[in-house]
Amino acid sequence: MKNFTFAATIGIPRALFYWKRPYFWEAFFKNLGCEVILSPQTNKEIVKMGVEIADPETCFSNKVYWGHLLWLEAKCDLIFVPRLKATEEKLEYCLKFFGIPDLAKILVKTPILTETFDPRREKTEKTFEKLGKKLKKNKAEIKKAREFASLKEKELKEKEKQEFLEKIKSKKQKIVLVSHPYNLYDDYVNLEIKEKLEKLGAEPIFIDEVPVSHYNDRSDIIRNSGYPKFHWEFGKEIMEKIQEILKYNLAGAIEISSFQCGCDAVLKEFVEKEFKSNKIPFLYLMIDEHTGQAGIQTRLEAFMDTI
Amino acid sequence: MKLTFAYWGNYTIAFKTLFRELGLDFIPPEKTNPEAIREGAKISPELYCFPLKVNIGNYLPALKKGADTIVMVQNVGGSCRQRYYGQVEKKVLKDAGYNVNLIDFRAAPKDIYSTIKKISGASLWQILKAFRFCLNELRLIEKLEKKAQYFRSREKIKGKTDQILRLAFEKLNKIKDLKELSRFKKEIFKKISEIEVDENRDLPRVGLIGEIYTVSDSAVNFGVEEKLGREGIEVHREMDVTYHLKKAIFPWKDWQIQRKIMPYLKSTVGGHGRDAICEMLDYIKKDFDGIIHLLPFSCMPETTVRPILQKIHLESGIPFLSLSLDEQVAEAGINTRIEAFVDVVRNYHKYKKL
Repeated sequence: MKNFTFAATIGIPRALFYWKRPYFWEAFFKNLGCEVILSPQTNKEIVKMGVEIADPETCFSNKVYWGHLLWLEAKCDLIFVPRLKATEEKLEYCLKFFGIPDLAKILVKTPILTETFDPRREKTEKTFEKLGKKLKKNKAEIKKAREFASLKEKELKEKEKQEFLEKIKSKKQKIVLVSHPYNLYDDYVNLEIKEKLEKLGAEPIFIDEVPVSHYNDRSDIIRNSGYPKFHWEFGKEIMEKIQEILKYNLAGAIEISSFQCGCDAVLKEFVEKEFKSNKIPFLYLMIDEHTGQAGIQTRLEAFMDTI
Repeated sequence: MKLTFAYWGNYTIAFKTLFRELGLDFIPPEKTNPEAIREGAKISPELYCFPLKVNIGNYLPALKKGADTIVMVQNVGGSCRQRYYGQVEKKVLKDAGYNVNLIDFRAAPKDIYSTIKKISGASLWQILKAFRFCLNELRLIEKLEKKAQYFRSREKIKGKTDQILRLAFEKLNKIKDLKELSRFKKEIFKKISEIEVDENRDLPRVGLIGEIYTVSDSAVNFGVEEKLGREGIEVHREMDVTYHLKKAIFPWKDWQIQRKIMPYLKSTVGGHGRDAICEMLDYIKKDFDGIIHLLPFSCMPETTVRPILQKIHLESGIPFLSLSLDEQVAEAGINTRIEAFVDVVRNYHKYKKL
């Protein structure tokens, strides 16, 4: 078997779907022998760059993504922008993800490394092989890299679960933060809401951390509760996790939504209904490039006073 | 059970026929007007797309008159928010104090058939007959709209076409059987062909692309089509109900579209995102003088493809105007932008041959 010595520098924007599987892509490409450049944590410059170039009506998370993409321009050989279409459970991602590689090609001159991930059409294994072929790697190398990356991901998930169990035991007021991973983990985007809440004496829990067992038959839960059967992966995930977290004693719930997010407009209706019917105080926060630190602080303080 | 349904431009006439022929008890929705839009926007979720707010505004008067069931189609637009219209509308109306039932079905022939069977109890023969009548009417309405696009820009007496069209739709509303419809068809086509026109005028042509609901309902888009026509511009529009139905029935239509737009977009983005790109490329090939892109504010598929449309516009140099519509857009603003655009189009038409 020939061993190619093709090692490209691959840039990964630290936004949007990076947060869906953090560390995975980084580990995957590193194991393939590529050098990986991650764009830095979101900062003012990046947001400004993104907002200037983006379509004014697209969602704030997308604008941040363009900022990261522009930061990577000319700093690497390839920029990795996958086209995520569906999950393994055959649920769709947000449809704005579908067009991102094509829009990225318009924005930057650096070549884009992309592959369509759609388990409804093609096995994920094969997609990874195709992706590896573009980097001139053989099947065995791809398989090894992928497994290694998944292992690392699993380890982190396990750690997260332990942390969650500890958090849930704490005697502080527990507040659940409902949002997409790219809003929860990006501290600049969510205006450090986690630290703010901690300073106010609460125990913030990310909805993302809530473990859900995937083997339970949850079809009757869906039938009994009032929300529709979502075809979006996050819709199903968030609603299920809310059902799970409601079993614990919650003090309040906050939903963070990026401005102009089309999916959240749907989701909010049902998330709000779910919490209100369980008599849990609910706060809806909208974030965009104009949101100020002070404004959020006041609202959080007021919210903490009510509970 | 009293049904009501969404209002959609002139096509509502055909939908009404369908319900009547099936022997269902229904109350037609309120015509879209500023009042209805305002009322709808008041109780709808703020960030939801514009058509939902209009829909709710259309339902409200019908609900006040005694309707208690809403009929809504799911997944008309692939994977966009339209899928949850029924569910969200039900919730919003419930919060506003209207306890409504919801008949929500997928836009597949089998589901449509079973739903109709369930609510009306009509026989298969009756259903087929009703659909035939409805489709005939739809085709007639679309043909009239297409004819009007041609005649409006060339008529000698300004406003004649619109006058005839308005009367025609009023008459069409009262037609009860197929024989009458075919008689009416002959009569109205004769009337239209009698409009005095300036055949030899070399007119600039503009293509109307974008989201299907905003493009084909003149009450929602402030009559963009009529306004351009009166300025002496021939407007073309592919998007209508038959186009959508054809795409739903024949899947290869989608594949053909995908093949045409391959250099720009390699995947579906839901809704009619791909169609907008395909139509724009088509109009450029046919040597049009301008493109108007209409979309509801923050429509997910259309905002995703808009940067691509803008790229095509920069590459080809064709005048391009993108108008987002929602309850806060005023007619005066749209008028100014269209007037400016008309000037650009006229100049482009005049000088592109030099």
